[in-house]
Amino acid sequence: MSETATAPTYESACARIEAIIARLDSGEAGLRETLALCQEGRTLVEFCAGELDAVGQGLEELKLGELVARLEAGQAA
Amino acid sequence: MSAAPRPEGIPGSSLTGPFPVGVYAARLRQRLREFTRVQVFGEVFGFKAGRARVWFELRDGAGALPCSMWRGDWDALGIADLADGAQIVAAGGCDYYPGSRTSSPSFSFTVTGLRLAGEGDLLAQIERLRRTLHAEGLTEPQKRLPRPVLPRTIGVVTGEGGKARDDVLAGLRRRGWGGRVVWAFAPVQDRHAAPAITRAVQDLAACEPVEVIVVARGGGSLADLFAFCDETLCRTVAMLRVPVISSVGHHSDHTLIDDVAAVACSTPTHAAEAAVPVDCASARADLRGHAARLERQSRRAIVERARTLARLSRAPAHHVERHRTRLHQQLRELRAASARAVAEGERAGRRRAAALERNAQLGRDHARRLDTLAMALAAHDPQRTLERGYALVEGPGGAPVTSAAAAATWPELKLRMRDGTVRVRPDRDVG
Repeated sequence: MSETATAPTYESACARIEAIIARLDSGEAGLRETLALCQEGRTLVEFCAGELDAVGQGLEELKLGELVARLEAGQAA
Repeated sequence: MSAAPRPEGIPGSSLTGPFPVGVYAARLRQRLREFTRVQVFGEVFGFKAGRARVWFELRDGAGALPCSMWRGDWDALGIADLADGAQIVAAGGCDYYPGSRTSSPSFSFTVTGLRLAGEGDLLAQIERLRRTLHAEGLTEPQKRLPRPVLPRTIGVVTGEGGKARDDVLAGLRRRGWGGRVVWAFAPVQDRHAAPAITRAVQDLAACEPVEVIVVARGGGSLADLFAFCDETLCRTVAMLRVPVISSVGHHSDHTLIDDVAAVACSTPTHAAEAAVPVDCASARADLRGHAARLERQSRRAIVERARTLARLSRAPAHHVERHRTRLHQQLRELRAASARAVAEGERAGRRRAAALERNAQLGRDHARRLDTLAMALAAHDPQRTLERGYALVEGPGGAPVTSAAAAATWPELKLRMRDGTVRVRPDRDVG
């Protein structure tokens, strides 16, 4: 659990994207706000896509000892 | 079937024999049946009822005894099936089924009498611990931990050769999840199990990449699952900073680790799915949809506003053009109306001229006729006769006198001649 309170998580990013789309769909956002929301949404989509890519490379199985060895070698991300 | 020939014994062995195993088994049964029949008590586990017999194990902290009972004797007791942990007193004695070439031998304590003696110590012990954990609030900390919906690394504690391992992998693959699984294998049902499982969850939680831990074991009797009710294990899990998802036993089993874990699942497959709440394939599809909607909204925000601006910028020119067109139209209509009025006036003038012409012609015709009549009248004018020397006799009133008799009636007559009138008196005698 390395994430800090301010770092986005997949679920918080998804929730924010849905809130952004709801705001845009409402038609109440002005041009400046719309463009800012779209930019924020694109950034969050890229973040979520990265998170999904991180668990889309194929299931990797390790024994606990192997993970510990990797951590000690500084390889584990 | 003839008896097999007796083989030679083991050279150098001081033991008697070899004896045919069936003979020995029959002798063993005989000796076991000679054991003193007694009453024993303990807790029931694994009760099963067959057509001919019922089976269960009688256990306590120091040992266990396989028991069986004729189905007829059991039914005569009139009690429900025995739950795991039920404490009973059983009366009976040892027996042995010697088996055969095609059937396995078995030892059992054949029960001929049975009495329920209350809830078992094992269950009572678990319930006491459960109440203690609840009273100390240790069932809540795990449930308050945030659980990532898309963990990259999942730790799993299970038996190395158990089916639970395959079930966990199947659950993860069903989610379309392809992250890292870290196995911490541990015995899951002997007296070494609880300390080993405790150590495994601690070690996994100490590894920073591990975001969630699954503790999984297949079904078994309560005694088999007792390791997951261990107090040290439960207290350790309760205080971990990594969420633990438990899946121990079947639907009906409820171990204490289920109470303290963040989530308790009925099967290892469900535990894996709880560890990854997101279906990765549909999440990718949703994300593509979100991205497309954002692009559409972004494009629409600019294009629509640009269209609006263009429309607004064209509005004054359109307004002027619209008025100009309207004025031209009105001008055309005015001209057309004027032309129509002039044409109509011309037509009316022509009609009036024609009527006047017709009236003039009529006047001329009347004049000509009047001239004709005047000439005709002039032809009959007495004046013309007077002009030729004739005289017109008129009475005093001016009425013409056309006979002598009439003239005789008037005292005085007037003779109107060409150049004037002469009064005369008729001479009556002459007449």
